[in-house]
Amino acid sequence: MKSNLLVLAAAILIFTSCSSSPKKPAQPAAASVGDKADGKSVRAANDLDEYQVETIADPLEPLNRVTFSFNHGLYTYLFRPISKGYEWVIPKLLRQGIHNAFENVKYPVRVVNDTLQGNFQRAGLETGKFVVNTVVGVGGLGRPSDHIPALADVPAGETGQTFAKWGVGHGAYLVLPVLGPCSLRDTVGLAGDYALNPVSWVTIWYGGYAWTLAIPSTNTVRAMPNQMKMYEAATKDALDRYLAARSSYVQYRKEAALK
Amino acid sequence: MTLRTLLLIPLMFLCGTAFASTAEAEKRLHSAVSDVLAIATASPDRAALQASLRPVLKKYLSFEAMTRRAVGPGWRQFTPAQQEEAVRLFTTLIIRTYSDKFTPGEHPEIVFKAATSPAPGRVEVPTTILYQGGRYSVTYRLEEAESWRITDVVIEGVSLVANYRTQFDAEFKKGGAGAVVGALSQSVENPK
Repeated sequence: MKSNLLVLAAAILIFTSCSSSPKKPAQPAAASVGDKADGKSVRAANDLDEYQVETIADPLEPLNRVTFSFNHGLYTYLFRPISKGYEWVIPKLLRQGIHNAFENVKYPVRVVNDTLQGNFQRAGLETGKFVVNTVVGVGGLGRPSDHIPALADVPAGETGQTFAKWGVGHGAYLVLPVLGPCSLRDTVGLAGDYALNPVSWVTIWYGGYAWTLAIPSTNTVRAMPNQMKMYEAATKDALDRYLAARSSYVQYRKEAALK
Repeated sequence: MTLRTLLLIPLMFLCGTAFASTAEAEKRLHSAVSDVLAIATASPDRAALQASLRPVLKKYLSFEAMTRRAVGPGWRQFTPAQQEEAVRLFTTLIIRTYSDKFTPGEHPEIVFKAATSPAPGRVEVPTTILYQGGRYSVTYRLEEAESWRITDVVIEGVSLVANYRTQFDAEFKKGGAGAVVGALSQSVENPK
């Protein structure tokens, strides 16, 4: 299973690096219709290209839009009620504890990627954070690292970010069924994160037994309220939800690659 | 006095004003944030929150600059009436988007970090916001016109203005200024 995943990852990666063809930047509109000579107008006219239209190759846009509206329906009519139900049934303190514990357990995802990026200092900080939260935070239920300035804001390493730092481009924009906005590169990244997350080891090693469903399912549900909030924040009040989500995704990933 | 010292004087002056203005911009942002938080704490529900946030946000945000930049170079092809209408609609949309981020009764905790000045008259203030158990990086961009005003809010690397820039661009390519204003008024009238 694991070796299959690696082969798949390698295959997609090669495909990605061959097929990356960034879209040409948008042509600026015909210049200066009625620019006035006074200072204010000139300044106003000069800041019009302050923000560029972000570019990502989206050759599959028609298909992506179909998947996007399918996902939107799924989020609205299934995921959001599940999130609301979860928030209603489980008290806030316990939810926070569950969330912390699952994030803490993802330590291998972060430390392996920090190491692959050659960022040993950050790998060390992650290790410190993991030890503090596991020991003082009782198995990661608490997050005492928040109160230690050096450990409070360690940027989380992940596989897509590692590829980005290695210079691999997005390839093409993809809207994955259920999972949402992604790119070819980051799809491989997700596969990497999945393989490195101890939560999935349960499925990989002991798959087939009913009890093994409990842990990954809890993990999926506990992450849902936050993901729904992020989706809402990115697309609510948009003129075009698809473009808003795509723009947010590209910007968010660009920032992650810089961290 | 040598030429070199003469050249140094304006430089020192520039550094001095840059420092003073950064502090001024930060002060302005602090008062904006505390005004907003006071309202968020006092508002019983979302509708009340939105209504009382409107005048405060209009005081601290430069909606005109935000609209203009979100539209981009196509702005020159807007008639003055279309520009005014676009600013009016975008203002309403931003206030609604912003108000929706608050849940009445929840208190975000904001940690301000050292401000930077990327250009004269411009200041960026990075912050960390602790809200509902999550930690978010939020950067405020401010600019000095008559006073310091917020011109963009960047949440986890996602800029509010850049997000709309992409959408306005698509509308503008479809049908020019009319399409942008039309799409805006549709979004304002039919909240999704």
